[in-house]
Formats: sequence, C-alpha cells, structure tokens
Amino acid sequence: MSSAVRDARTGGRAAPLFGLPAVGVVALLLYVPFLWTTYVSFTDYDGLESPVWSGLTNYKAMFSDPDLIGALTNTLLWVVGMVTLPVALGLVIAVLTYGHRWGTWLRLPFLLPYAISGVAVGVIWGFVLQPDGALGQALGFFGLPGASTGWLQAGPGNTLMMIVAVTWQAAGVNALLFVVGLQSIPAEPLEAARLDGAEGFRLFAHHLWPQLRPITTVVIGLSIVGSLKTFDVVWVMTQGGPGTSSETLALSMYKETFVLNDYGQGAAIALFLSLVTFAASVLYLRYQLADGDSR
Amino acid sequence: MSRFANRRTALTALAVAGALALSACGGGGSPAAKGEDKPVDSLKFYNDKGGWKDAFVQVGAASKKDAGVGIEPVGYSDSNAYTAFIRSSFRTKEKADLFTWHTGKELEDLVDQNLVAETTDQWTKAVADGNIPAALKPYFTYDDKQYCVPLNAGYWVMYYNKAVFKKAGITATPKTWPELLAVADKVKAAGVKPFYQTNILFSFVWFETLLAGKDPDLYDALATGKAKYTDPGVVEVMNDWKKMIEAGLFSDPGSKTEPQSQLKNGDVGMINFGTWFSGSLNTLKMKAGTDYDFFVIPNVNAALPKTSMIFETGPVCSAAKGEHSSTVTKWNDWWVSPQAQTAWANARGDLSFNPKAEVKDPSLASLNKDVGGEGYRLINRWFEATPVPVATKALEVFGAFVTKPGDPMPGLQKIQAEADEYWAKQK
Repeated sequence: MSSAVRDARTGGRAAPLFGLPAVGVVALLLYVPFLWTTYVSFTDYDGLESPVWSGLTNYKAMFSDPDLIGALTNTLLWVVGMVTLPVALGLVIAVLTYGHRWGTWLRLPFLLPYAISGVAVGVIWGFVLQPDGALGQALGFFGLPGASTGWLQAGPGNTLMMIVAVTWQAAGVNALLFVVGLQSIPAEPLEAARLDGAEGFRLFAHHLWPQLRPITTVVIGLSIVGSLKTFDVVWVMTQGGPGTSSETLALSMYKETFVLNDYGQGAAIALFLSLVTFAASVLYLRYQLADGDSR
Repeated sequence: MSRFANRRTALTALAVAGALALSACGGGGSPAAKGEDKPVDSLKFYNDKGGWKDAFVQVGAASKKDAGVGIEPVGYSDSNAYTAFIRSSFRTKEKADLFTWHTGKELEDLVDQNLVAETTDQWTKAVADGNIPAALKPYFTYDDKQYCVPLNAGYWVMYYNKAVFKKAGITATPKTWPELLAVADKVKAAGVKPFYQTNILFSFVWFETLLAGKDPDLYDALATGKAKYTDPGVVEVMNDWKKMIEAGLFSDPGSKTEPQSQLKNGDVGMINFGTWFSGSLNTLKMKAGTDYDFFVIPNVNAALPKTSMIFETGPVCSAAKGEHSSTVTKWNDWWVSPQAQTAWANARGDLSFNPKAEVKDPSLASLNKDVGGEGYRLINRWFEATPVPVATKALEVFGAFVTKPGDPMPGLQKIQAEADEYWAKQK
C-alpha cells in the first residue's frame, strides 16, 4: 500500500492533533480533578486553609465509623437490589412482549418512567410512600393492613422501598435493551428448537436465555455501576435518614464534603467508591467477556 | 485481536471513565490574588435564600434610590451547595461583594482565615445611633472586632391557625406550660395534630424549645462544650419530648408537605418557628391576625426568672480584599439605617434587627418592642450555637428519635462522642 493511500485512510501524522482538544478537555475536567481528589484524600482539608498531609487518617476513620459502615451496607443492598429486581422485571417484560402484535405499545408504559429524572422519581415516590401518602391512603381505602406503615421511616425497609421506586424507573429501559438482544438472535436455531418441541419456559431457558448473554452482561454491568453511585433518589426521599438509616456511600461523600466541610474525608470516600466501582466493573466484565471469548 | 478483546478495552475504558467521573466530585482551587478598590453602582448579593428574591429586588431598588448602589441578588435554594460555592470562591479571584452566612462557628472559620472584611467602625456608629441593638454585637465579634452586619433577626414563637383554635374552642393563647399542653389537648380533641414536627433539618426545634424553657444555663453550657449531652438534665428533656410524641401531640415527622401548607390546611394547629415564618405564610395568602397569629412560648420551668426567647440572626458579609470595598461600605451604612430596615421588614413581612424600623404587622411590631425589655432572656438558636459536626450528628439522632422515639441514651452518647472529638480539637 502506498503511503499516500495509508495517510488518506488513517489521517496520517495530523490525526493526533485533531484529537488534542478532546483529550485536553477530558484531562482538564476529569484527570486533573481526579488527581487532586486523590491528593486531598490523604490530607486534612476544610476547603479554606491549605490541605495538611495526614496520611491514611481519613481511610482509617472511614472503616471505623459505624455510620460509614452502615452506608457501605446500604450501598451493597442497592447493588443486590438493582442487579436483581429491575433486571429480572426488564427481562420478563421483554420476553413476554417480544414478537407480540402490540409489543411496542405494551412496553411503552414501562419505558416512560425512564424519561423522568431521578430527582423527579424521588419526589413522586416520596408522595406515594410518605406517611398518609398515596400508598397508605389506598391501603386504608381498601381496608388492607399496612395503611399506617412508615415506609421510609426505618432501615433497611426504607432502602428496599427506594429500590422498588428505582425499579419502576429502570425496568423499562432494561426491557428495551433485552428486546434489542432478542432481535439479534438468529431465527433459524429457534425455529429448529421449536420443531424439536421446545416451547414456553423450556424454549426460554435452553435457547433464548443463553443467547441473551451479551446483552445481560451489559445490563447487569450498568446496574452495578449505577447502583454503587446511588444518590439522587435517596437524597430527595430521605436525605439518608431518619438518622443515617438509608445513607449510601455517595450520600456520605456529599455529607462529609459539603455539610461537614471535611473535604479530605469526602475525597477518601469518593476515591474508595471509585475504586470499588472500577474494580466491580472490570472484574465483572473481564469474567463475563473472558467467558465469552472461550465460547 | 478478537472483537471481544476490543469490546473489553472499550468497556474497561468506560468503567475507568465512570469511576473517574465519580472521583472528580472533590476539588478545590488555587489561592486568590488581591484586588484594588473600584467603586461600582451595583453589587452582587449572593444568598442561600432563593425564596426571598422579591424582597431582595425591592430592597435593591430602594438602595439604588437612596444610596446610589443597587444590588443584584444571586439566590441559591440549597444551603449546602451555597456554602460550598462561597467557601470555594475565596480561592479564586472573584470575591463576593456581599453574601449571607451563619453566625457562630461558620463565621469564625472565615474570620480565622482573614477572609471577611472587618466592620468595627460601622458597628460602633450603628450601635451609637441606635440602629443595631448592642445585644447583637457578641454574635458578630471575634477578638473584640466586628465582622459583617446583621441581615435579619428572628425570634422563635408559636404560630397557630386561628380557625383551628376557634374550632377547638380555644379563646385565649396560653401563658404557662400547663396551659399550652391543655391547648394542645383541645386541638387534638378537635381532630387536628397540635404541633408540627419534622425529621429533616428542623428536627432540633423541640429539643431546643424544651431545653431552653427548662434549663437555659444547661443549654448554653451544652453549646460551649461545658456540659454533656448525656447529662441528666438533657436526658430528662429527651424523655419529656418522648412523652409528648407518644401522647400524639405531633404531626407525622416524615411528611413531605411544607410546614406553611400544613398550617394553612389545618393539618396542624401550631408550629414553632422564627418570625421569618410570617413571610412564608403571607406568601400563601394567609393574613396575619386573621388567618394566623403567634404567641410567645411559655417556659417549661415556671420558676425561671425570665422567659427564654430563642433568637437567631444571620449576617451579610463581604470578602476581605474585595475589589468593591468602598461601595460595600456605602451599602452597609445604608442597610443598617431605619429607612432601609423599614423597607426590608415590610418587603419580607418580617421583623428587623433595627428597633427603629417601622414594622407594619402589629403582632411583630409589639414583639419587637417587648423582647427588647427586661422580661426575656435571649437564647442563641441551637443551629448556630452548636458546632457543625456536633449539630450534624445531633440532627441525625433527633431525626431518628422523632420518627421512632425510644431510649434516648444511645443517641445522646453518639452526639456526645462527636462533641468530645470536636472540643478536644479546639485550643
């Protein structure tokens, strides 16, 4: 291949130059703050005076503070909740509506909540779950038990209820992703399976589900990353309370930094949360994709 | 390379980016440069009182007319975001001309770092002219120098819905604690929750009311770290509070409905709040004296020589070494004048720190006059009196307590552990 042709295809030596502005912006907005936050996490810093080096003090404090351990537990609860409920529900919706004449319309109501911001979801569900809220009133109207339950008033129940709220929002988009996965499954093997008498659950378990694996990987991966960062819904619905019963690590990070002005402690939580998110994503994806490679 | 390896690289990059974005939530800046004085005809007024915008605009028009200096309000409604913004602004070249803040430890932090402009001369003159009561001076004084000027002064009283009181057959406002409890029982019998309570932010209100009305010396000692949250006097107050909650005297603390709406709708009969609450009620088109009114909260302990009056004041500060310091001084001088304070108080439907301000609302005007007298002991609001880390922990504990009152001791021990840690760090 002549060099002129190669240059035309690859952009030649000028290519990196075109990438510079984007790299610059990313470096400025992401890498520099990241490095700064990493440094701050090893200091005692109140946002006013210059940071004073304190070594691992913030990290030690983090793992000895019962509130932060509680926040870690709640965050794990979110991860477990978000990789099960919305994923399972999304899969059920996708499989039941796929190929149906009215499939698109049947999925639409589930998809609509995804257009709403997390904050709005928090507000709406806050009204549903507050004492004497919509749920309590509905239960009372039908004479069912639980009308006076304080859904958001005690842990871990309040976290579970908030997971339900986010499930309402996230199930639709998961269903959409699964539908995309279903559309990518070639028709012939399914036809063959049907001719062999596979139908219903057997068809799903032995033929559909294994072929949905790539998309399931993505859905679960996104759920893990998203749930580790849970902030908006909790902030709006309970602000991590009552007490610290529904606090997540992202909330602790916010509280330490912006309420207590302990920027060092906040940065330590931010870094820890980043590392956990990064490790979880990488380990999960590597495991899944390595598995995929071996197929 | 297989397409999976490609995808792995892409997904790994995504994971890295996601994790980094999360980490970039911390931050700071570089120390700032010093500015020269440049007079201007309008000052930016940063505040965490987004809802007061109309009043700020009205006052800006008045100051433009009277002093030739207007203000441009920049309002935040989230106080945490606001605090972070102001704190970080000190590390930039952009100095805040005027900004609202909190008295107590938060102001002390800024003063310690020489970040706030001194206002000693203006205070000396304003006190001599009778424009600021001398009683306010301690809240703005550090090492015998004054900083900032008062934005507002509020007294904490008991607001009540007049229609609810009428429905409950209450003809006179209570003058003693037993009378207050009797009134609460009547309101409850009329099918209305007597008192408002919340488990977010204002969860300290009843703790403050009960402690200040029972043992104000202990209250003050607690604020300065000379007493402990686990002391018998505090435990007793928590148990009194618990009894009141269990007697069904409070609204549901988890309600998302704003307190002013709860009072207007007759969901609750009474709410103890600062006099700024008048402004919130007026916004809902409730009429003072017709739809709502307020009374002074009687002491829990009748033997106390003076009525404990919870008092709060917020400062308006300006950054030290700002570019517009002469204009700021000019505006501050106007701001403390009776003329300015009359305009401000009536724009907000609130009191003023200036006793000479002509407040239209008769109840507020008479309260303003009475509180200056001998019968009251001013008590610094708990939120300003308590150091931030202790207050934050206590708010969590109180929030959990009002939601589900149990043995108060474990919670008090948590607050005290935080207090011990805080006071040990202080010189």
